[in-house]
Amino acid sequence: MKVTFPHLGNVYMAAKIFLDDLGLDYVIPPLSNPKALEIGAMYSPEEICLPYKIMIGNYIQALEQGADTIIMAGSCGPCRLGEYCELQKNLLKNIGYNVTFITLDVPKDIGKEELLNRIGILMNASGKSSYEGIQALIKGIKAMYLVDEIEKEVYWRAGYEVHKGDCKKILYRYRQDVFATNNPNKALVILKKYLKQIKQVEIDKNKDPLKISIIGEIYTVIESFSNLYIQERLMDYGVSSLRMLTPSWWIKDLIGKTVKLNSIGIRRASKEYLSVGIGGHARECIGEAVLAAKNGQDGAIQLFPVGCMPEIVSKAILPTISKDKNFPIMTLVMDEMTGESGYITRIEAFLDLLERRKLKVV
Amino acid sequence: MYYLGIDVGSVSTDVVLLNEEMEVIEKIYLRTKGKPIQTIQEAFSLLKGRYKDEEIQAVGTTGSGRGMAGFLVGADAIKNEITAHAVAALELDHEVRTILEIGGQDSKIITLKDGIVTDFAMNTVCAAGTGSFLDRQAERLEIPIEQFGHYALQSQTPVRIAGRCAVFAESDMIHKQQLGYPPSDIIRGLSEALVRNYLNNVAKGKEIASKIFFQGGVAANIGIKTAFEKALGTEVIVPKYHDVMGSIGVAIIAKEAVEKRKGKTKFKGFTIAQSKFVSNSFECKDCANRCEIIQVLENGVEISCFGDRCGKWSEKVAVS
Repeated sequence: MKVTFPHLGNVYMAAKIFLDDLGLDYVIPPLSNPKALEIGAMYSPEEICLPYKIMIGNYIQALEQGADTIIMAGSCGPCRLGEYCELQKNLLKNIGYNVTFITLDVPKDIGKEELLNRIGILMNASGKSSYEGIQALIKGIKAMYLVDEIEKEVYWRAGYEVHKGDCKKILYRYRQDVFATNNPNKALVILKKYLKQIKQVEIDKNKDPLKISIIGEIYTVIESFSNLYIQERLMDYGVSSLRMLTPSWWIKDLIGKTVKLNSIGIRRASKEYLSVGIGGHARECIGEAVLAAKNGQDGAIQLFPVGCMPEIVSKAILPTISKDKNFPIMTLVMDEMTGESGYITRIEAFLDLLERRKLKVV
Repeated sequence: MYYLGIDVGSVSTDVVLLNEEMEVIEKIYLRTKGKPIQTIQEAFSLLKGRYKDEEIQAVGTTGSGRGMAGFLVGADAIKNEITAHAVAALELDHEVRTILEIGGQDSKIITLKDGIVTDFAMNTVCAAGTGSFLDRQAERLEIPIEQFGHYALQSQTPVRIAGRCAVFAESDMIHKQQLGYPPSDIIRGLSEALVRNYLNNVAKGKEIASKIFFQGGVAANIGIKTAFEKALGTEVIVPKYHDVMGSIGVAIIAKEAVEKRKGKTKFKGFTIAQSKFVSNSFECKDCANRCEIIQVLENGVEISCFGDRCGKWSEKVAVS
């Protein structure tokens, strides 16, 4: 058995550590790229959301390298992403790939037994005990937290760095170094080293850079290929950016959900504008916008793929928040277009708007 | 002493020369025809004999081709068209609150308050209702685009045309035309559909307060202007130089940039009209990102390289 999985930002680093520790054979698909999107768009239904298409491209590029089993998360949730696994299973079968899908879902939806069954398939292939399995999982989760922590620091410190490009260099270097090793323990050491390094980057605390929150649909904000690398781009402009939705946030939210103690801050903040969950992460988007205004950010950028229904609802609510809180919010809708000029124009104009506002207030 | 503004858009390239009073003394409007470099060279060869390089105090570029144009001419400011349009409108009238801008491929709305931009939006994934579409319809009906607007005014009863999608709007127009409606009614219907689409799509959720400026190439179309006035129930002002507001704005921004720097302009001179520019593109295979790198050579010397994410190519030129 050779497993693979779709990309979601930097999850692949943590997944690699987990799979290395478990001793499973795996293929990590090439990082999401234009070719993957092209393949995905060719086979996918035209109207389906962008993440679906990119994922299909990930799968096929991995299958070409010998993968035969796909691990994917599913949910009986009210957003289409929860149904991807079933649709994708059929799609791949129809175009002639013989693959096994292992869909991981919460016990509430598929039953505890079924979940253990599915995990059992992986465990059997690895030949490890369940204790070792849990150990590997803990390492993977630890790695996810470290990765998210490093990136959070990188994107935030970029606005304050004394030597332009310091943060970006660390960002690229740590990804390369972690990926180069197949030893999970060594990988964790490397991650810790870089976390320390990023915290020591020389910064100028007197600087007052523009601070922007990245909000919106979870896949689009995390998978940087799908948002045309917005946070890296903001680093080039010397802007600090903040994103609350991360894979480690998602893990925490999932666990918290079982006892209804998930993301209390965000839920409370969204209450005035959207008091019920309407699917996807629309409520989170609204809550984050309110929090961003409250925490003194200069503005927020909402991202979502064409046709994302939960985010279309939040898009309609955002202007009211923007008006009430006197807080600029821009929406960018992502699609298959990789021509970047219109996109850059909007970002630059938004930064101009924020900057001119700021100067006027001072 | 003059200030030069260049707007390299999808359809047209506009070059303006402002004097010290920020008045337009020269205005060149050329079709880009997919060749931005040659178009700028063409514009410069028109200006070359009449103005000296030393008379240019600042130069700025805007429009979707602003980056490339900036390298080419040695721009003091390279600015996005939204800011450029806002600056130009504010120079004319500080009380402007809304700018409706419709160009060749895109349309935007900008809202302002107390002289600063407070919000803006651009059309997202659809070009329905932009200049190119009108151009095409004018061509199909064999009516010169300049007279397109006047036709609309002659109509007493507009025909309803679906404005959401350019392709289906065209089918709708053909259908109505085959039923025997006169061209003027169809054109008026089209103008109203375009305005409806703009207000429901680009301007959705935006506050449209007066004074309202209407800018961009399409503002020349009196039919669209009238349709806007009818839909908004208030006066819409079309500035005299509505079609080159982007260039005017960026010339002003460039002037400010040079003054702020207290330096001299980086303008390379009108002689670039004679230079030989070649651009190559290739895919960088050094990592999985597979960036498409574009390299511009002037008389065989590399002057600019961009398109990479890591900075390996673009920084190389910046350093040398």
